[in-house]
Amino acid sequence: MTTRRRAVKKARKAAKRSTSTKKAAPSRRMSPKAALSTATSARKTVKQRVAAMAEVPMEVSQNDEGLQSLLDVLRNQEEPVKVRLAALQALQAANFSVSSFGSFRGEYFAALRKVALDPDPELRQRVLGVLARDKDGFAQKKLLEGLQHPEKALVPPEKALQLLSYDAHAEAYSIARDVVSKSTDEPAKRQALRLLASDSTAAPIFEKVLRDKEEFAQNRQISASALQSLKPKRLQVHAREMLLDDSEYDDIQATSLTALAQFGDDDAVAKDEALLNSVDRLSSKASPTIKRRARRFLSKHRR
Amino acid sequence: MQNVAIAMQNVSTANPQSEEQFAALVDAGAADPDLCEQLTDLLREDHPCYDQRGTATTVRMRGWVLLALARTGVSNTGLIFVLEELDTGADAYLVAAAARALRSYPNPTPELAPFVMRALTNIRYRDEPVSFEGYGEYADSSAGTSPVCELLATLAWLGPHARGVVPEMESLRAEGELSKKRLIDLERALQAIRARDQNGKTDACCTVPGGLRNTFSWAFGSRRDSGPIGSTLFEDQEGELITFREFFGGQPSIVVFFYTRCDNPLKCSLTITKLAQIQTLLEAQGLYDQIQTAAITYDPAFDLSERIRGYGRNRGLRMNPRHRMLRATDGIEALRRHFNLGVNFIESLVNRHRIEVYILDAEGRIAASFERIHWDEQQVVNRTIEVLKEKREETTIEVSADGPVRKPALPIFGTLASLGIAFFPKCPVCWAAYLSVFGIAGLNQIPYSPWLRPLLAAVMLINLVSVWFRGRSTGRMSAFYLVSAGAVAIVVSKVFLGWENAAVWGVALTFAGSLLSALSSWRSRNSARSQGIVGAVSE
Repeated sequence: MTTRRRAVKKARKAAKRSTSTKKAAPSRRMSPKAALSTATSARKTVKQRVAAMAEVPMEVSQNDEGLQSLLDVLRNQEEPVKVRLAALQALQAANFSVSSFGSFRGEYFAALRKVALDPDPELRQRVLGVLARDKDGFAQKKLLEGLQHPEKALVPPEKALQLLSYDAHAEAYSIARDVVSKSTDEPAKRQALRLLASDSTAAPIFEKVLRDKEEFAQNRQISASALQSLKPKRLQVHAREMLLDDSEYDDIQATSLTALAQFGDDDAVAKDEALLNSVDRLSSKASPTIKRRARRFLSKHRR
Repeated sequence: MQNVAIAMQNVSTANPQSEEQFAALVDAGAADPDLCEQLTDLLREDHPCYDQRGTATTVRMRGWVLLALARTGVSNTGLIFVLEELDTGADAYLVAAAARALRSYPNPTPELAPFVMRALTNIRYRDEPVSFEGYGEYADSSAGTSPVCELLATLAWLGPHARGVVPEMESLRAEGELSKKRLIDLERALQAIRARDQNGKTDACCTVPGGLRNTFSWAFGSRRDSGPIGSTLFEDQEGELITFREFFGGQPSIVVFFYTRCDNPLKCSLTITKLAQIQTLLEAQGLYDQIQTAAITYDPAFDLSERIRGYGRNRGLRMNPRHRMLRATDGIEALRRHFNLGVNFIESLVNRHRIEVYILDAEGRIAASFERIHWDEQQVVNRTIEVLKEKREETTIEVSADGPVRKPALPIFGTLASLGIAFFPKCPVCWAAYLSVFGIAGLNQIPYSPWLRPLLAAVMLINLVSVWFRGRSTGRMSAFYLVSAGAVAIVVSKVFLGWENAAVWGVALTFAGSLLSALSSWRSRNSARSQGIVGAVSE
């Protein structure tokens, strides 16, 4: 009985605490209207405006004037970049609510296309990212132009390639192939390889990079992963050969082991004495990471 | 202008053009009303001008052609392309251009309204600003037009013809998801619809306007032989290899085309989902084991067996030896030629394709197709059941190196019947006199057979009817006229005294007509085979 009374008392106290917390909340948080007013006011500090932007999205999706004032902030080159970036983030959050934001989408995208050419590189890159994720033809055209004519580039080549890779239909394969074969810009080359992972004609490029010991390990690993997607049987062949090659690097052999263990033909592997002997050697003499993988591989095939 | 016409005919990759040159050519074509059909031809997905162009480029080019048609006026031939874009389009620019083009069609009808409404429903969440000012321009201001704006203007243009979609427009208004500007456009459209013809009838929904061809059928004897692709090798969703002949020979099949990287949810994804629905309908009617289904990928280089299996499974497709997803191991080119696929590529990636469903007969020949506009699952099943029930005995078939060929037996038989009836002896005495001529061969032993005359007359009549049918299918009636004249001459020679000599003319005319009929039918089949299209008949 005593226990029950104590429990009731505890529950009442807890309820009181939660009510008092709820009451206190509005005093700490800004109302959406006040937040919008603060966020768009040039008289407030940058810090205040950026903080207010976090409260804005719901308000924007429900009123036309709110959206207009946020779009004005985003477009206005006189505004601090931090505030404009926060406005972009608020608009992105509002756009997430498709049904309520749908009617503003036209204005939003028109504004984004304008800001994509903004002098500020960070803002430009963020806006192009938003447009590229939406497979926007305007953004794709600008990014391709930048890759073909570097003087017109709005973002660095590796970023342009990354943004173009969001859409398999973006006409970027031939440019990416050029970057892989000719460019000395390593980050651009890496992104080009990632982009080509969806190009079904690029398998020979990946086979070449994968087997080239002069290539960076990361490029070779990207190639292994792309080959698994495009020509999985070819990857199995290369993985086996790389495991048999004593002069091959440890990390690439580890990748090869994973490829054979996860996607290989278990029956064929179990009968492949040469391969199992090679992995056996790895399990005793290689680096700790590859040792572990080699032992796991051998235990799978009962050695 | 003649130069423009020639240039438009030569648009191809053999004569590669920049986008700007293409746009200038389209503009020049739009200035000449006589080139409307050539402009429309540029909208074919498989047109060489789109070969090796990217998707975005293809969108810009097709959009510009649609806008040119909006200036010259959309013809009946062009209407299907405009409606296709409204029915399945997911690109804001193309849908807006199609909506604008439709307003130049000279005969607004109630059947057009559901297409516009469907486009409105599909595109309303992608209502981006578009610019029609110059080729390849993108709008960076919302002051101009947009797909929803264009579609609402088109509904207003349809006026009372759009009465059938008023309830949908009203619910769109009630949802409150349109911007203020678009709400004003919507009100304007509603006013235009209600302003005139208050007593208009409720409009038909979801039918294709009369005269439009999106469904085609081929009669049993006129189907293109599947021999040339019989040995095409496919890999199915399990990695099993099978040739075209092995899979499609033996039972009628329903075939759809798709590719897993298609980003238009109203095309490939929906097609496979509908194919799964077809399987359900077949099962319900006890035909699941008698009619096969197949989904063939346009992109066999990327769509490996594992990938297509997952794609089909995620859309409810059942797969087994009679129902498969297939990828051609040697590429899509042979299939593309055989089916006349409405698709184009940049390298191996599809840049644009139409919706297409084929019904193959038990010999793997195309019996029917449904193209561009969304198809109804039950309609496809019903048509396949007709193919299943076809009585093959109706046609005499012989197999040659090129495949089944119809024998030209009837014309010769008919001519012989005419000959028989023309010179048939009137009485036993004449019979004896006739046979005495051949007495040397011992034919005089044959008894007089008066029953032979009506039999020969019946055969002559059958020959006449058959020549008429053949004339109708080839579009050449001269043979029928000759055979008819021959028949009349023979009848006259038998009925009227003193006209016996007409029988000779009758036989000659019948023979000439029958020969001409057989020849024109043979020629027609050969030319259709070489063009790849055999006697398409609108259903």
